[in-house]
Amino acid sequence: MKTKIMTLCVNGRDHRFEAPVNRTLLQALRDDLKLTETKYGCGTGECGGCTVLMDGKESICSCLTLAVEAEGRHITTVGGMTRDGELHPIQIAFIEEGAIQCGYCTPGMIMKTASILANNPHPSEDEIREGLEGNICRCTGYEKIVLAVQRASQMLDNSQIQKSGGMGQ
Amino acid sequence: MSSRVLPQFDLLTPQSIPEAVAMLSQHQGQVSVLAGGTDMLLWNYIRKVKPTYLLRLSGLDELDYLNYIPGEGLIIGAKVKIVQLLEHPDVAEKFPALYQAASTFATPQIRNMATVMGNVLRGSPAGDCSCAILALGGQVVLQGPQGERLVGIDDFWVAYGVTERKNDELAVELRIPEPTSTTRSAFIRMTRVHEDLAKINVAVCLEMKQNTCQRARIAMGCVGPILVRLKQTEKLLEGQQITGELLEQLAASAQEEIAPIDDQRSTEEYRRQVAGVILRRVIEKAVGTH
Amino acid sequence: MSEKTYVGKNVPKLDAREKACGQAVYAADLQLPGMLYGKIVRCWDHAHARVLKLDLSDAAKVPGVVKVLAPKDVTQKNYNTGVLDLMVPEEMGQLLGDIEDQRIFTDHVRHQGDAICGIIAESEEIAEIAAGKVKVLYEPLPVYLSAEESARPDAFQFDERKPGNRAFQLPEQMFPGNAYGWGDVDVEMAKADLVVEETFYLPKVKQCQMEPHAYVAHYDQTGRLNCWTSTQMPKCVQPKLARLFELPISRVNLISTTIGGGFGGRLGMVFEPETCAMALAVPGRPVKVQSTREEDWIASESRHPGKYWIKLGVKKDGTPVAVDAHFTSNAGAYFSHSSGVPFTTGGWLTGMYKYGAIRYKGDTYYTNQAPSGAFRGYGNPQTNFALEQIVDRACTELNIDPVEWRKKWHKGVGDDGWCIGVPYSSCALDECLERGAEAIGWKEKRARYANQSGSKRRGVGVGVMTHTSGAMPMLLEHTTCTVKMNEDASVVITLSCSDLGQGSHTVLKQIAADTLGMPMDEIHILVNMDAAGFDIGSHASRTTYVGGGAVIKACEDVKRQLIERAAIRLGVPEEDLEIKDRQVFAKHDRDKRLSVMEICHTGVYNFTNPENGETNGVPGQITGYASHFPGHNSPPFGACFAEVEVDIETGEVKVIELVIAHDIGRAINPMAVEGQLQGGAHQALGMTLTEETCYTEAGLCRNNSFTDYKMLGPTDMPKMTTILVEQPDPIAPFGMKSVGEAGPVNPVGATANAISHALGIMFTEAPITPERILQALSEQKVA
Repeated sequence: MKTKIMTLCVNGRDHRFEAPVNRTLLQALRDDLKLTETKYGCGTGECGGCTVLMDGKESICSCLTLAVEAEGRHITTVGGMTRDGELHPIQIAFIEEGAIQCGYCTPGMIMKTASILANNPHPSEDEIREGLEGNICRCTGYEKIVLAVQRASQMLDNSQIQKSGGMGQ
Repeated sequence: MSSRVLPQFDLLTPQSIPEAVAMLSQHQGQVSVLAGGTDMLLWNYIRKVKPTYLLRLSGLDELDYLNYIPGEGLIIGAKVKIVQLLEHPDVAEKFPALYQAASTFATPQIRNMATVMGNVLRGSPAGDCSCAILALGGQVVLQGPQGERLVGIDDFWVAYGVTERKNDELAVELRIPEPTSTTRSAFIRMTRVHEDLAKINVAVCLEMKQNTCQRARIAMGCVGPILVRLKQTEKLLEGQQITGELLEQLAASAQEEIAPIDDQRSTEEYRRQVAGVILRRVIEKAVGTH
Repeated sequence: MSEKTYVGKNVPKLDAREKACGQAVYAADLQLPGMLYGKIVRCWDHAHARVLKLDLSDAAKVPGVVKVLAPKDVTQKNYNTGVLDLMVPEEMGQLLGDIEDQRIFTDHVRHQGDAICGIIAESEEIAEIAAGKVKVLYEPLPVYLSAEESARPDAFQFDERKPGNRAFQLPEQMFPGNAYGWGDVDVEMAKADLVVEETFYLPKVKQCQMEPHAYVAHYDQTGRLNCWTSTQMPKCVQPKLARLFELPISRVNLISTTIGGGFGGRLGMVFEPETCAMALAVPGRPVKVQSTREEDWIASESRHPGKYWIKLGVKKDGTPVAVDAHFTSNAGAYFSHSSGVPFTTGGWLTGMYKYGAIRYKGDTYYTNQAPSGAFRGYGNPQTNFALEQIVDRACTELNIDPVEWRKKWHKGVGDDGWCIGVPYSSCALDECLERGAEAIGWKEKRARYANQSGSKRRGVGVGVMTHTSGAMPMLLEHTTCTVKMNEDASVVITLSCSDLGQGSHTVLKQIAADTLGMPMDEIHILVNMDAAGFDIGSHASRTTYVGGGAVIKACEDVKRQLIERAAIRLGVPEEDLEIKDRQVFAKHDRDKRLSVMEICHTGVYNFTNPENGETNGVPGQITGYASHFPGHNSPPFGACFAEVEVDIETGEVKVIELVIAHDIGRAINPMAVEGQLQGGAHQALGMTLTEETCYTEAGLCRNNSFTDYKMLGPTDMPKMTTILVEQPDPIAPFGMKSVGEAGPVNPVGATANAISHALGIMFTEAPITPERILQALSEQKVA
């Protein structure tokens, strides 16, 4: 079997490893790098459990991406959302709104939310629901996930305001 | 047997278009081109295709361009992703059918990954962007060992999953002609739930003079093994004022002209029943009476 | 309702933080030293066939393959994935006709996806390559996809113990006339002014939990079989595996992994037998078996599909004089839950309204579909589709408001519940109906939508339901709980209740904190099967109700011991002491007090004064314990209202709004209750509108993936309003009643009724697809 030495930059850290060329990014993350937070749910790009961010903004399905194709890109998984043990506002919003039940879709949902808000910091409810398409949740009926995205948007807004020194500036 | 592991293949990573074409010639019939991967890397698709090599486009950044050239039209490089259509202001304004197809295409993730060319090359009768492109008309630019050749979109799909592209050719560009100020286009699809492959889709591109349609292209999907143009229905429409009565005639004609089948997403009967309805609606949407 | 610190509050789930960080460990995430990968080789090309020849030689030669397992290489014992054998006495199991008819690897393929053999390899990829080299020669057998087909006299007989391929019918000895109900239906039906009768078709719906089934098993150096599993029922799967592999229970250890959704899909055993059989073949090395989505689909159980005939007789004033009903369900390839669902389906029917007489018959037949089993609601969504629609038809014909009819005729306190002889202890359905009707604008919309034109037609519909909180008295209801007080008065609660994601552990901790009067963050919940006692498992909407009851009792046991010790130390009679703010007080002399911390601390660090032989407190670490058998099942009720818009040119349905009013008794965690109702509604709408597992004529699944089987997405879901009606149940702990299984029930009837309100057509087949609607509309036009 043909193998290749690959370097993947995940959550700001470079990982060098050798793997067969047919590795998907999802397999590479889970099996080679032991970063199991990204989930297999269908393998056909439908459920979104494997969603990761490329270059901070773009959500993709890691199950339909070859690992080699992700070389040179900045990959963010939900493991990269926490900074120094402090939760990202999106994570806090998901926890507090009750948007997490079984939690299996959560890593993908949070990465999708990060992508929605990176591209559109103030989405309408319709835009949120459109944006969440491609991430299946069987537990919540999406209601509380939508609320969590709305809340995360507000929280991020507030933290931006704080960082820029408040409304007055 | 379903699988989580891709079958074995080797990678080809050309750094130029001539190199890519040379590789395709050298390994004729053993190479599949990998662009967005959203079709190619599906376990059941790649196991059917069984490529010995996957030719990556990652080294060919020269194929990543989306340009609107006034007087010529829209030029879509082979690496352009669906999402790029949504981000380009001229697509929304001048090619509404394509924009509308792109905006409901699959999911945000897939739109970020899948290429427009990949949708055309897949040769599926359900392809949304393909449906819009068939209505808008245009050409596929193929690079082969003998140079460049252009195939009209009307002739590009041969059978389910089969296109005019030869094994040693690389599809490099899509060209969609410049609309006039009186060109109107629109796209509609029907699905089981919002995120789904189309159970039926339709796109029209109409040359209008006031309320009279002078020239029409009507493309419909999921009503045959490949996307089809409804040429008889187009003839009924051309030269006519768009009236409620005409729309009813067109609807009836569309039902006659298609050959749908039963599948997981819908039935032959239903597709026939709604073909006329969505044709009427897409015309109304295009001319702005909807 | 007394004031509580935690009960009634929206406490975030205990595991939400680790899940939000991606650190919750699901079975597929496990990486153990020396781990091997198992692949279950399944039959993909036939739904019914005999294996004439199985050749594993090429597969065994693939480098990296450790072992290949043919049917003869594993235990020859049969099993049943279901757990009824543990829930009822053996004699009753015999009466019900429960049988063990599954093999780990089989030479008789009874459905697509049946397991043929196993491969154990150094990597998943190698296992898959080897699986591709397994050669099987099949002799195809006739394929049966419906009860009608397999019941034919000349049909292939699936099991000699089940003549005519009837896996089950209500047994005569328990149900005279093979029927459940009361009264003389024929006599009462004859008194009816109006008889409405219909046969409904219920689809085969899949749980679609997001985590595909995955396991790790390890036959370790001590001779113990360890199995990491996301089962809903660890304490049932443990003895079932022990029996299957002929090991004492002490040598089977279950380790519960985070459960990525259950919904009944992890009730009993799923692929634990195959995984453990592989582990036993390679002692000392763990084996991981991870199914693909497609495998999960074709090889694990689903909701029971079938035909539901129902006949309702009513007087002119609406009095329901009689109901006659018969649910013929499709068991699929194996017995599994064949006796459970056909019974409960009737239970939900009999429990709902005050019929003059009712006769329900339920039976189930083998077919070559994937086995049917448990799915949230356990027969109730099926009943809801049929019953709520037939009631509405009668109301329409008699021009009676469906809400008023339901208010008048639903059962309530003192009436028999789903189990005849166990009366309802509480019922807040009237309030649910009233508040729900007001929230959706029932009267105004019913009137407004009565006469519509145009291509978009609106409708509103109502559906009610009743369910249960635990399965007492039909099934064993037993949960144990141990509460250990640490020396600093912090608490460890040990139990074996599963949390499927609904938040059971959080809710149990809220209950414990309020019972003990301790802060939640000083309580730890330990779920360890070696340490914990019995729990029948997370099913039948029981964990908060029964598990909560066990937690309360065990905490009360701790409090009793604290008071007992304080009484000795303070010299105050026990009855004069109370616990508040982590102090034991004399009720009449607040200065006489002892902190809980001191009692706990001195119990552990109990020193004897060498001079006088006295100790510094009562010795012994305090542990509370309960082995709880609930005395009731406090059924919840609920009313759901749906508004829909139907495009009559395309048959497309858009659900505009759902109002779900639920009789929760008391909401321990309102946010979690809402989550159950909203998530349940998603599953209910799917069953009503889009979801069905379909087969080709050859019995091969046509839609075993999320590409081909469609659930509603975030943009398809309607606006949802949840109303929690809190009228505490007098019997239930804290007055609480269940919600989990109730979720997917009555949005089914409400939505179906809303569609028929919009169109004036009742749809007897679910899912109500645009295809079916358009066909019905064109038939209506012709008529």
